[in-house]
Amino acid sequence: MMRTIEVLVAIIIITGAFVISSFYATLPWPREVSPVNLKRLALTTLQMLDSDYSLSLAAFDIDNDVLWGNLQVALSASLPPNVVYNLTVYKVGVAEGGAELYVPQYSISNAASLGLTSDSSSYMVASSNVTFNVIPEKIGEREGSGTLYILNCSDAPGWWITGYTAHSLAEDLYRLLSPYFVKTVMVQNTAQLAQILKNQTLQGEKVMNAVVINTCGEAVPIPADYCKAPYNADSYARYFYFLGEKVREYNWTWASIVGYPFYYVSNTVIFAGPQDQNGWGIYGMIQTGDKGSISFLRGLDNQTYSTSGSAITDRKDRQNVTLTQVAIDACNYYGIYPSVYQTSTRAIADSIRSTYHLTVGIHILNPTSDGYNPGTLYNHVAAGTSTITGSFLALGLTRTPDIRLTAIGLLSYYKPRLYRSEYTAYDTSRLVVLQLGLVGGV
Amino acid sequence: MVSSTIDHMVAVIAFLAALLLFIGLFNQTIQTAVIYQRHKALATKASDLLDTILLNPGIPEDWSISDEEPTGFGLQDPEFTQYRLSPFSLMRLCSSTGEPVYYEKTKMTYRYVNVGLGNCLIMPYDGVLNYSTALRLLGLNGSYGFQLTLTPMVTVLIAEMQANPLMLAVNVSGVGFSLARALVSYRLVAVLLNETQPRYITVPGESGMVYTDDQGCVTVPFSFSVDENVTYCLIAYAQLGGVTGVGSFVSEPSSSSSIIPFVKSLASGEVILAHSFDVPYTATFQEDLMYNVALLFVNENLEVQRTFLDGASGTVTSGQAYDPGVVDMPPHFSGTIVIAYKNAIDRGGLVLVPWGLSSLGFPVVFGGDPSKQEWVATDTRQVLVNGIAYQAKLALWSLEGYRVVSER
Repeated sequence: MMRTIEVLVAIIIITGAFVISSFYATLPWPREVSPVNLKRLALTTLQMLDSDYSLSLAAFDIDNDVLWGNLQVALSASLPPNVVYNLTVYKVGVAEGGAELYVPQYSISNAASLGLTSDSSSYMVASSNVTFNVIPEKIGEREGSGTLYILNCSDAPGWWITGYTAHSLAEDLYRLLSPYFVKTVMVQNTAQLAQILKNQTLQGEKVMNAVVINTCGEAVPIPADYCKAPYNADSYARYFYFLGEKVREYNWTWASIVGYPFYYVSNTVIFAGPQDQNGWGIYGMIQTGDKGSISFLRGLDNQTYSTSGSAITDRKDRQNVTLTQVAIDACNYYGIYPSVYQTSTRAIADSIRSTYHLTVGIHILNPTSDGYNPGTLYNHVAAGTSTITGSFLALGLTRTPDIRLTAIGLLSYYKPRLYRSEYTAYDTSRLVVLQLGLVGGV
Repeated sequence: MVSSTIDHMVAVIAFLAALLLFIGLFNQTIQTAVIYQRHKALATKASDLLDTILLNPGIPEDWSISDEEPTGFGLQDPEFTQYRLSPFSLMRLCSSTGEPVYYEKTKMTYRYVNVGLGNCLIMPYDGVLNYSTALRLLGLNGSYGFQLTLTPMVTVLIAEMQANPLMLAVNVSGVGFSLARALVSYRLVAVLLNETQPRYITVPGESGMVYTDDQGCVTVPFSFSVDENVTYCLIAYAQLGGVTGVGSFVSEPSSSSSIIPFVKSLASGEVILAHSFDVPYTATFQEDLMYNVALLFVNENLEVQRTFLDGASGTVTSGQAYDPGVVDMPPHFSGTIVIAYKNAIDRGGLVLVPWGLSSLGFPVVFGGDPSKQEWVATDTRQVLVNGIAYQAKLALWSLEGYRVVSER
């Protein structure tokens, strides 16, 4: 009998355990088992209401009964009948201590309560009366320089800028880069180029520490003053030596946007003879060849003039060279998006760094495994010093040029900051919260 | 001794019986909980899958306007972010509604979707994406089934109140509410049939904007009378608070024959115009149908505008010996193709074809049949298709079953 009693006690204990566990193991409501994603439904509804800015207009005009009436009708018409809502507009302000403060302004609803299950989404709308500005920091502003020269010489044709003209490239560069410089000067002809080479200002700008972008591609404009001895030695390689000297002397950053740097000199007035063409039928220019870049770098490094030495570029077709992570980050920061993949056929040997005392300012394109740099900004730091005396941006890409790469190269090197308007600035934004609930059923 | 043994036996039997009973009870609770968990997982999967379909344009991005089969499935308009869908991607879905139609002259079978008098979309089976391919591209093959439904959020119903002078009633309603005080932008397209070719005529006040009343209704009068020599259609866009819908009305055709428009390819923009006697081929008698094609589109100000197309007019003759007509649509251009036709005794009508699914507010039903499934999870989003508001609903079910313990 004792055993039976013990079993009864055990049964009572198990029954108790079952009852207690059943009490706590509450199964969810069927609606919670297979819920409608109210959060997403609310968000997409808000996006739809604002697709023609109706929501934004109403959020900033809370006294306009017609607007709000229309919005309420649209909201009611777009939601299923078993969905109830509460839409509230909050004014975004700043509390003491800088914290954001949201103050309810207006609310519409079609039910006293939102039922057992509800969820919400928020959406920030901007006032149509407010323009959100981005103010860029000016390159060289603190150093008292910050000049951008864009070579837009009407008397100098370009080469390897196929599909564009130097003028159109110059205009694009002006649009892309002028906000980041204290002064942007379009060098309209070779006579003006001669002026800045003589340290004479064109529009009161600072010549020193300027950035000079050559939009003529592989050709470099040459002023008439330099179309004579000694600059015409070795098919004008001596002129490029002189340019290298000036880049060092004025601490310029010289940008070559595509192909071989310093491969031709161009001037339509001086090179007007029947033989004055680049070998490909483009008149008004003379081919210097590989000697041009060697001479420039020797001038930059203050070496004696010579054209001897092996070519610094090769012609290997390097497809799918890629932007460096620094450049990609700059793309995202400045909102300029060239393709990450590029084709390089005129990459520069990395060995020039030791030969001409150059350091890498920044790689725009990843160096290749065989020791070539498809796109790099070099700084010249003379032996025994730590001061930069001239820089050289070389994009050894194939034609046609993507001018955005030049812009990204310079911006990722100089890193001017962008000062953006705050979206939470007082009364420029309103927060709209749409809370949805389900009614009926379980 | 005996009583002790009996005591033991009773105790053991009672204990085992109780144990079995409670194992069963606990097991039932656990099974129910597991099934609930599976249902919840299915609901989460439905939500994720719906976002996957609606928030990516597919691979390649322009698969909807090319003849390629995509390698990734998605319906987002590649020119936009958020929940904006490509009207051409939706055109390339093999609709679950409609019926197959074989056209002898192209030796191809088409999917015929009709949403009312004079409104049809006929896509070639070779050019559309079918359900099994979509399952494979989404990685659901064999594990889940789904049905994607896109329904216009705004219904614009148009009815003829009187013909002389013409007066049309427009009724605008949403999913759960009438659209009171909605802006309605309309255009009447009238065609004269008693000329060599059907001729589009200009009607005073043929386009305009009006507002609906508190019941979502508005009457549109025209100083123009309809007789047996005239056929017409009306396209109306309704907009309120960012929600836009579209509707159309086509007058009754006065001929027994008609033009049937087969979309040849979205990439080439070619639409084949077939004689209805050839679909299916009946070889009754030879008849000429003269046609004239126009294109309607809505601009940013919600004004419905009309333009004409290359190869816009011609003749289609029934019978095997004659080629069908072909009209070229401008690439990547969304609008409504209006095909006016007439026969030799000046009887005819109009056919409307959406070029970009949203231009006539066509609904989409794509995928399997959820009605026979044990448990179906659904989720909903509001989307825009070329500015027209749609509600996208995904029904998802598991093909692997829900039972915890397999049945014998």
